[in-house]
Amino acid sequence: MLDAMEQLINGLLYGALYALIGGGFSILFGVMRRFNMAYGSTIMAAAYVSLIPFTRFQAPAVVMVLAGVAMAVLVGLLVEFCCFRFIQKGHELAPLMTTIGALIVITEAIIHATDAVGLRYPSPFGEESLEVGRFLIRPDYLAVAVVGLVCFLVIFWIIHRTRLGLAMRAVAERPEAAQILGVNLRTVNTLTFVLTSALAGVIGFFAAVTVGSARPDLGVFATGKGLVVMVLGGLGSLPGAIAGGLLLGIVEFQATWFLGATFRDIVAFLILFAILVFRPSGLLGSRPH
Amino acid sequence: MDYVIAVASIIGIHALLGLSVYVVAICGQMSFGQQGFFALGAYTAGMCTALWGLGFVPALLLGTLVAALFGFVVGFPALRVRGLYLAIATFGFGEIVRLAFLNVRYTRQIGDRVVGPNGAEGFRHVRWVFDGGVTGLQYLGIILLVLAVVAGFFAWLDRSKLGAKFRAVEEDETAAAMVGINVTQVKVLGFTLGGAVAGLSGSLFIHYSTYIDHDMVALPLAIASVTYPILGGLGSFAGPLLGTVLLVSITEGLRALAELREFIYGALIIVMMIFRPRGLIDEALAQRVAGWFRLRRRTEPA
Repeated sequence: MLDAMEQLINGLLYGALYALIGGGFSILFGVMRRFNMAYGSTIMAAAYVSLIPFTRFQAPAVVMVLAGVAMAVLVGLLVEFCCFRFIQKGHELAPLMTTIGALIVITEAIIHATDAVGLRYPSPFGEESLEVGRFLIRPDYLAVAVVGLVCFLVIFWIIHRTRLGLAMRAVAERPEAAQILGVNLRTVNTLTFVLTSALAGVIGFFAAVTVGSARPDLGVFATGKGLVVMVLGGLGSLPGAIAGGLLLGIVEFQATWFLGATFRDIVAFLILFAILVFRPSGLLGSRPH
Repeated sequence: MDYVIAVASIIGIHALLGLSVYVVAICGQMSFGQQGFFALGAYTAGMCTALWGLGFVPALLLGTLVAALFGFVVGFPALRVRGLYLAIATFGFGEIVRLAFLNVRYTRQIGDRVVGPNGAEGFRHVRWVFDGGVTGLQYLGIILLVLAVVAGFFAWLDRSKLGAKFRAVEEDETAAAMVGINVTQVKVLGFTLGGAVAGLSGSLFIHYSTYIDHDMVALPLAIASVTYPILGGLGSFAGPLLGTVLLVSITEGLRALAELREFIYGALIIVMMIFRPRGLIDEALAQRVAGWFRLRRRTEPA
């Protein structure tokens, strides 16, 4: 029972990472009504690039994260340009397909650049588990939870307290009306990509730290989790993404604990399928259009 | 020569997979889960010949049937979602099947070999083709024969009333329902047919390769199977066939490019979606070609 509690706490902390990934998906979906399947590969590209300053100059974690964010924004802008900008109107599935194409292209580029071997990732938070009361808690999970909290505070501030946020909410609500009122749709879309990609940069570092290595399957992993979280919480709902992420973290840790590691992902995808079919609006979302 | 036979066999097997995506797509449902049906067919057919001592033809039929059954079952929940949501849900289904086979252990010691689905080890030693003395060329003949039968069925479907119903549902569900088409029936039938064809493809594949594991039915296979009809076109059954021949012969045929296969698939999807979102053989082209034949018939003396 005590162990299950420990798994619950660690799952909740780790869930913050899933919440961040889902948050990135949700913001983009909320504004553009599009899935960005290449989001996972943006995260992965950031994870690999933030390793460079460390291996070259033993740079501190902050520099690593900044390098990751820069790379992620670059990749994000590239994805927006290649996969969204020239899509003809009325082809709903086209951006889904193009971003899947981008997911493969980026993954393959990384595989060819690194000979497909995982690269060991340093943990700036130490390897020793922290003892809190009677529970052992992993320090990197704790860091993820703290960073997740900070990131979401910043995101909520941007969305609810800045002009950009106002424009984003307007576009999400009614793109045509927003355009009539002088919102430049293309600018808002691009800036949304910059925002979510910067978030991907932060996620990339922490995802690789918690996994312990930067691996070429990180992209598909992150995209999969992001989809599950977004669907779980309700498409385009940011509070939903937070709730969904934490819930997925808890469920996965319990599934691993009780059923074994090979059942972890199956539980996640079963939830995805069931929610999509029986409650497509998710836990906290409005009905899909 | 062996190399050409190998490439041709892969083309035949993947063409079936492309057709299975096509038949689901022409009733308005884009499936990213056909690799799940492929896996179900492969594992079932493999167990038939390797474990239960059944013949090759019953194995093909049973593999097809099991996959069709799953297609039928998946068809109903799939009714509730469409577009993006369906694409994601079907991919979820494919992953569920894949991860389920990661946990299935059902093996028997035959001679000095452990035969049967063995979790992460995969399903080895499906040796019906080798033990039966069937050569690569003969097996290619079997593959192409099956493909010809299936392609013939699709050629009929494209011209039939049923095919017209499929297209009507894709174009506008409400309008299709208004003219008396049973939309539920059409969509579930689409998934059942798609499952059957993907299962048949998997059944042929496992006897060709003697081996399958869960990694072989992951995302890359899903993407390949969707790329064939998207590149070739959704206007006619010839589309996915053309797409498969083009893609597989480019990536397998030129050895230098084999390394870059995934890369090419990814880039091609992006380019096609931007410039020709309905593929090379789209509806307009298919109609025009069909028109030529109709014209010729009309000019014949009555």
